[in-house]
Amino acid sequence: MKRGDYLVLALALALLPVLYFHFWNLGGRGEQVIIRSPNSSPQSYPLQQNRRIEVQGAKGPSIIEIHEGQVRFIDSPCQNKQCVLSGWLHSDGQIAACLPNGISIQVQGRDARYDTFNF
Amino acid sequence: MKLKIQTIRDDHRIAWLTALAITIHIAEAALPSPLPGVKPGLANVVTLLCLLLYGWRIAAWVTVLRVVVGSLLLGSFLTPTFVLSLAGAAASVLVLGLAKQTGGSLLGPIGYSLLAALAHMAAQFFTAYTFFIPHEGLFHLLPILMTVAVVFGVVSGLITKQVLDRLEKMT
Amino acid sequence: MRTNSRTRFYATSVGILLFTLLAACERAPEVYQQQVLALGTLVDISIYGVDDQKAHAAVDAVTGQLEAIQHHWHAWQPSRLTEINAKLQAGETVTLAPDESRIFQQAIEVAKRSDYLFDPAIGKMVALWGFHSDERPVTPPPSRTEIQALLQQHPSMADLTLENNTLRSSNPAAQIDFGGFAKGIAIDLAIAELKRLGIDNAIVNAGGDLRVIGNKNGEPWRIGIRHPRASGVIASIETQGDESVYTSGDYERYFDYQGRRYHHIIDPRSGMPVQGVTSVTVIHDDAATAEAADKALFIAGASGFGKMTAQLSIGQAMLIDGQGTVYLTPAMAKRIHFEIDPKPKTIIVQP
Repeated sequence: MKRGDYLVLALALALLPVLYFHFWNLGGRGEQVIIRSPNSSPQSYPLQQNRRIEVQGAKGPSIIEIHEGQVRFIDSPCQNKQCVLSGWLHSDGQIAACLPNGISIQVQGRDARYDTFNF
Repeated sequence: MKLKIQTIRDDHRIAWLTALAITIHIAEAALPSPLPGVKPGLANVVTLLCLLLYGWRIAAWVTVLRVVVGSLLLGSFLTPTFVLSLAGAAASVLVLGLAKQTGGSLLGPIGYSLLAALAHMAAQFFTAYTFFIPHEGLFHLLPILMTVAVVFGVVSGLITKQVLDRLEKMT
Repeated sequence: MRTNSRTRFYATSVGILLFTLLAACERAPEVYQQQVLALGTLVDISIYGVDDQKAHAAVDAVTGQLEAIQHHWHAWQPSRLTEINAKLQAGETVTLAPDESRIFQQAIEVAKRSDYLFDPAIGKMVALWGFHSDERPVTPPPSRTEIQALLQQHPSMADLTLENNTLRSSNPAAQIDFGGFAKGIAIDLAIAELKRLGIDNAIVNAGGDLRVIGNKNGEPWRIGIRHPRASGVIASIETQGDESVYTSGDYERYFDYQGRRYHHIIDPRSGMPVQGVTSVTVIHDDAATAEAADKALFIAGASGFGKMTAQLSIGQAMLIDGQGTVYLTPAMAKRIHFEIDPKPKTIIVQP
């Protein structure tokens, strides 16, 4: 084995984990939630980081909570609280919305599997 | 120093190597693959041998012959499989040529072989993606395919080295 | 020098090779996506193949149009439709604009072909159930007596006569509520507008009613159909060309009262919400027909699935009943891809 051989081998072996991390989501990039509100661009947040988000909607603020890989509506200025009743969302494609307020939250796996939903 | 004048013995050898390359190409067609038509490129052993023994021109010729004749015999001429084989072969031949020109003294058969295998697989994958299956999900296979390429690259490098050593002993 | 030109040859060819490889390596086709509040719901618009600025402008144009349609055909807020309804109730004839006439024509035809299971003339019944408001107040469902009284008046699209853009009704109880049908019309017009603006690859999705055109550089759009009883997707479809996918479910608009759930799809024959069906999905060329057919199939139920799909010439439809059994037309069975494990029980109904 010559010097160049070692170099090529080292580069090749270094390349492989990069490929796995990037295309197999082995780096724990995990899932995210996309929060949509009227008249502003979608915001996405990783589900790994616990946080509470206030989003302005047509009728007022909706409060959304992310906790250990799950997300839900805590409160919304609507009457029926349908959004809150939807509970925790955690897997790709799950969606909850406060229609009166125009806010929706949608969980997305790393590879967005669907372009849109029929529900 | 290599002899610039081709001997009749060399001609026979080149013909023999071409036949070998074609045989390996056809045998490879029987191998299962996660992505149909994408092959590990064992026939690159012959390409590499030709490169190191007889120079790039011969290597390129033998490779083209291998792909064309091999596919004609397999009945896959001008099919997607053929396109993928050609893309892989072209990529490895070009990369081998560049490698020889720029770092030839530093590289042995294993280094060359690895580079050829990586180029071969990458070219096949992206040809498949661009022309045949433009689906996002295809990228899920890429890490596996490249791992296979690395493994086969090392293996064919070792095989090439063995063959070269034997040839050395014979002459 | 010979060596240099050779190197250059290799370097250039490898360079070209790498460049083409990297060019092919566009990781995700860039889809522009924006959500707007229109048609009483969240409308999700996806556009592929044009720059963000053009896409944004197109969405604005389309949103304006959607809102105009909604105002025009609003079932309870003062609109052209409420004006038409008032006139019909008073026994007057109404002169319709050509596009209004076309919409009525389409609705009348589909209603007839569906044996009046799809019947937008039951607006009064829908109002009786309290669904003529954005958020239904917590009140009890209508009584048997109230429902019976209305049923006896027998309002129906069959009471309407449309001749040369003039509309007449022989039954003052017939009040039009186009409901989802108007949404379908709006989506069809939105798609037309996008095409007019030079956009050939897009999705316009108003909750359960969507229409797609084109694809993402050869890769089809993938639509996830929501599971009627769980959050998440039950099945997916890859779209082919220009088509509409409509799904309605008993989970969309409903109210609970004293432990019972009442949803918004009313059977014109009984005056009651449909029982035994949780969701229906229809694929068709245009959104309006898809919606009308969907409603008719929902009301026809599992037992009427085969007959109604044939009657309405719907080749691709899916119905999920109260037990979770999935009924499919043969063409739909070929296209649908179930995303849950284990796969649900399916019954393929031959036309």
